[in-house]
Parts: sequence; C-alpha cells; structure tokens
Amino acid sequence: MSAKKIDIKVTDISKGQGVLVPIEPVDDVKLPPPYDKLEELPGFRKLGQQSLDKYDGYIDGVIAVGVPKPQSEEEEQKLVESFLSGLMKLFSNENNWTFLQPLVLSMEHCAKCQTCNHDCPVYEASGEVEIYRPTYRAEVLRRLYFKYVKPGSPLIKKFQHGDIELNWTLISRLVELSYRCTLCRRCAQSCPIGVDNGLITHELRKLFSQEMGIAPKELHEKGTVQQLEVGSSTGMNSLVVKDNVEFIDEDMSEKVGFKVETKWDVEGADVLLIHNAGEILAWPENPGAFAILCELAGIKWTLSSEAVGYDGVNYGLFYDDVQLARIVVRHAEIAKKLGVKKIVMGECGHESKVLGIIGERIIGGDVHTENALTFMENIINSGKLNLNPERNYFPVTLHDPCNLVRIMGVVEPQRRILRKIAPKFREMEPHGVRNYCCGGGSGFAVMSGNNFTDWRMHFSGKMKFKQILDAFADEDLTSNSPKYVCAPCSNCKGQIRDILDFYGAKEKSGIYYGGLVELIINAVDDIKEPFIDFDMM
Amino acid sequence: MPLFEWEDVKIMVDEDGFMENPEEWNERVALALASTEDVTELTEDHWKIINYLRDYFKQYGIAPMIRKLCKETGFSLKTIYELFPSGPAKGACKVAGLAKPTGCV
Repeated sequence: MSAKKIDIKVTDISKGQGVLVPIEPVDDVKLPPPYDKLEELPGFRKLGQQSLDKYDGYIDGVIAVGVPKPQSEEEEQKLVESFLSGLMKLFSNENNWTFLQPLVLSMEHCAKCQTCNHDCPVYEASGEVEIYRPTYRAEVLRRLYFKYVKPGSPLIKKFQHGDIELNWTLISRLVELSYRCTLCRRCAQSCPIGVDNGLITHELRKLFSQEMGIAPKELHEKGTVQQLEVGSSTGMNSLVVKDNVEFIDEDMSEKVGFKVETKWDVEGADVLLIHNAGEILAWPENPGAFAILCELAGIKWTLSSEAVGYDGVNYGLFYDDVQLARIVVRHAEIAKKLGVKKIVMGECGHESKVLGIIGERIIGGDVHTENALTFMENIINSGKLNLNPERNYFPVTLHDPCNLVRIMGVVEPQRRILRKIAPKFREMEPHGVRNYCCGGGSGFAVMSGNNFTDWRMHFSGKMKFKQILDAFADEDLTSNSPKYVCAPCSNCKGQIRDILDFYGAKEKSGIYYGGLVELIINAVDDIKEPFIDFDMM
Repeated sequence: MPLFEWEDVKIMVDEDGFMENPEEWNERVALALASTEDVTELTEDHWKIINYLRDYFKQYGIAPMIRKLCKETGFSLKTIYELFPSGPAKGACKVAGLAKPTGCV
C-alpha cells in the first residue's frame, strides 16, 4: 500500500513501535523529460540494521537527527519528564517571552480548514502523506498544550480538543518529524488567520535542544558549538581563514588583471563584510567577486579575523535560541570594537535574517546592518561599474531564498539587478514571496547522515527542481549549453548543488548554479576574460 | 556509529561513512574506504591527492579549499571527479581518512 493511502490519526504517533508510515518516492510532482521516469531516477536508500538498532524515532523510515535509544526504563521516564518540563517553559513568559504570543495564538486559533496543506512542497512531493501535512505535527503539540499546559477541566478539554497519549514513542517520533519541515513558512503565509506552523516546528526543535539536549550534530556540535569554540562552523580558525582568503585574492588578481587585496580588521571602516564562511571554502568566486566589487566601487571595507567574526552563519536560528543569542552577541561585539559604520551580510539568507532583523536590535548604537542584495543594487545605481549585459548572454533564472524574500521582504533589488545585467533572465513560477524553498532550508542543506540526503532530493527539494526545469522549458533540456540558476544564499546553493548532482542535471541539461555577485562581476566590461568559467563549475 | 568491515579491515565510521577515528588510518584503510566510493584501484594520481589532503589536514586540522587542492596537485576538478566519483569533499576526503566537512560547504 502506498504511504498516501495509510490512514494515520494524530493519536497514532504514540502507538506501536517502529516506522509509522514507510515512505517511497512518488511522482505526484511531475518532472519534465528527461527526468520524467521515476524508475530511472536514483533510488531511496533504506536504513541499515545498524541504524535501526541504534536510534529511536522511526516515523517514516528516515533518520535526520538520530535520537539515541534510552538504555533503561528509568532513563526513558526521565526523558518524558524533561519533555514535559520543556513544554511548560515553552508556554511561560519568563522562558519564552519572544515567541509566546504567536505560539499561543497558533495553538488556540487554528480553524483546521487545511488551506495551508497544498502550500507545503514536502506534503505535495510526498503524494500527500498524512504525517507531512503542515497541520499534523502542529496538532500533536496542540493536543499536548491543551492536555498539560492550559488550565481547565480535563474532561471538557479532552472533549473539545481531543486526547493524546504522551510517551517516549511520541517524543522520539516528534523529534524526527520536527526535522521534516524546512521552516519555509509558505504555509504560514497562506493561513487566513495567521497561524504559523513553521513557528510551531521551530518551537518544538527549541524544546528538544534547550531542554533535552537533542539536536542534529551538524547544527549543534559541528555547527554552533564549533563556531563558538574554533571561530567557524567550517572548522577554520583565524589563521586558516586568512591563508585561504590570501589564496583567493591571488587567484582573483590573476583572473581580473589588477590587484585584489582583502583588508583585515580595519578600524572605522565603512563596511564590515561578514560572509558565510562556507563560501570561502566551497565557492571562493563569491567572496572573491565581493572583494572585486568593493574595490571597483571604492568602498572602505574590511573583514574581521576575530573568531566568529569571519563566519556569518548562525545555525541557532534553526533550533536553539540560546545558541543564536551567543553568536549574535559575538558578531555585535566585533562590529562595535572595530567601530565600523555597518555590517554587510554576504549572500546568505539566514545570516541576513539573524543580523538584519534580530541583530540590528541587539547591536544598537551607530552600527547598522545591510543585506547583500540592497548593498549591491546601491553600488550598481552609483554608476561606478562599467556593465555590459551581453557578457551574461545565457539563460538565467532566480531562486528566492525564503529568509531574504518571504521572511524579510527583500524581493525587488535582486530582480532589478538581473534585468540590468542578464538579458536572458526569466522568472520561476511562482516566485517572490510565493517562491518554493530550495528544500535545504532550516539547516537541511548541511545535514546528510543516514538516508537524509535522499529525503532532501525526493521530498523537500523536488518542487524546486521542477521549478528550475520549468524556468528553462523554452531551452533545450537535452543540451548541455550553460543555463544559470542564480541563488543568492549559501545554504540554498548547497542544496541546489546536491539536487543538480542527484538528477545529473549539469551533464544532461547544462544547468549550473551560483550567486548573484558573480553575475555582476561577469558583466563588468573592464575585465578581459569572463569571470564565470563554466568549465570550472 | 556503524562498524565497517572490508577484508581484514575493521573501522568505525559515521552516518556518512567517514572515519570516526582518523588516527587509525593507513593504506589498507584507504583501500577499504575506496571500495565504498566506486574506486577499485588506487593509482599514483589517487595517492597524490590523498597525500596532499592528509598533509594539509595534519597542518590545519580541516580539509583544504577545493580550489587549493586543484592548484597544488595540478589536477582539474573534472579529473578529481573522474578519480573520486563523489567528488573531492565526499569522495577524496573520505578515502584520505579526513573527518566529514562541516558548515555550509
């Protein structure tokens, strides 16, 4: 029986053992040729026995977090108690004043109209598997809220809101289920009364991390913890990052024919540029292009070599408010100490959200923040660059990173830039604030253990791949002449790279991906050779 | 962490198949890990990449930039993909016994 047909109720999450709904890739989201035959696509790996023995939390046959099995009944009981204590904290003003109001509103006012369902790319790509319905995990938390948190007669509450049994099976499955949503908040946008199922997922992750110490190791141990200890989630310390950037500078100087030199720790600079440090290691043309851009525009800019100051990521946003705050505070301290006028965030969606919305309030004083997209548009409008759009004469489409576009509302600057520099620019449908997530949101792009990568490709990322292919429908998808997906966000780029690799789209259809600043520099007429070199991508 | 066995080699690997204890790496282990990466034989070119990765890792504690790897070994990215089909980070680093790269890379 297909996973779609399995009749699952909210209460089933606490029942039985093992996998609740074994999922399989389906073709409800139909891809155009040559990707239209499901049986020809890479398969979906099943979990091995070693994983089955090691973890709990089986809900769909996928492991993202890896919840360790409790070793005794006592330990299991303690975990249930700690979940309950975390639940109470989630709904108390002193512990969660930042999110309490929207959380309670989302608990109490969902009309169960299910308008949001079809806005979820995971639910759609799965063929409407019940546990992926945006309201499913929300309803689990809602019943727990009415049963344990909200005062009132147990009998009446049970009658009005439905019952649910709280046990370790529920908790461990809910941990995994809170990592099957990319927090894109497309569902929240479509809700007629503003219920935010993305926020509910986020609050669940917080409870698991802050109260129970359960979080994906890529986000916590290798993510925020490593960033605070070593200086970057990539593991680069201050010396390594300087060495790498020096290498990029040399590479860029060779490429453009004039000296490109990154300045470090310049006090009183106009701009402190903080990249997602992953760019330096994996996509060096991106920070390289920023250095060239700042040079050409005559901006007094600097990077920081202080630990955390050269890595804009803040995975805390995805799962843990305490870790989030620790990193924002470091960024704020570094900017203040240098006395810069503003922080400019590199092409990174979640960094832009953290520093632009939350950070701006914490930093305060005279230091402001600006996202890369408006920063670049202002430079272009200044007329300091000699741009020739014909240099970008290949098909270009634009991916809208959820954090920058839907959440922050930065919609037009990147489009105005592309209309000036990319004659063959075309939109995806839908786009702007109605975009679909890349499928790697909320940290998924860096999570790959067990069979989670397969899940990202077949479920969370499939809608995006369809959008990309549709955007190039007027081109020959069986020819490898270059087509460019512009994704101004490191996390999205990581996911789009994996999608294109998974489906073989570079080889089959010539689909490449990269950031926005590379396209700008590629259009600069004073540089002899093309900046974008498809042979190197 | 799962136990990975190949001929006489027994090592602990993480959920992505990277070594849990990189200090246990030796040339037999490299061969064992290569078998998981569709690499049947380790040629001189493979070893050039592996040795560079290991030397860099010893010095800096992380994997080098891919661009640096290409420049220092003289191989194009395409050649590296031919030698290690899942690429420099997931393929070559794994065989060289490095830890799985972290952060947004």
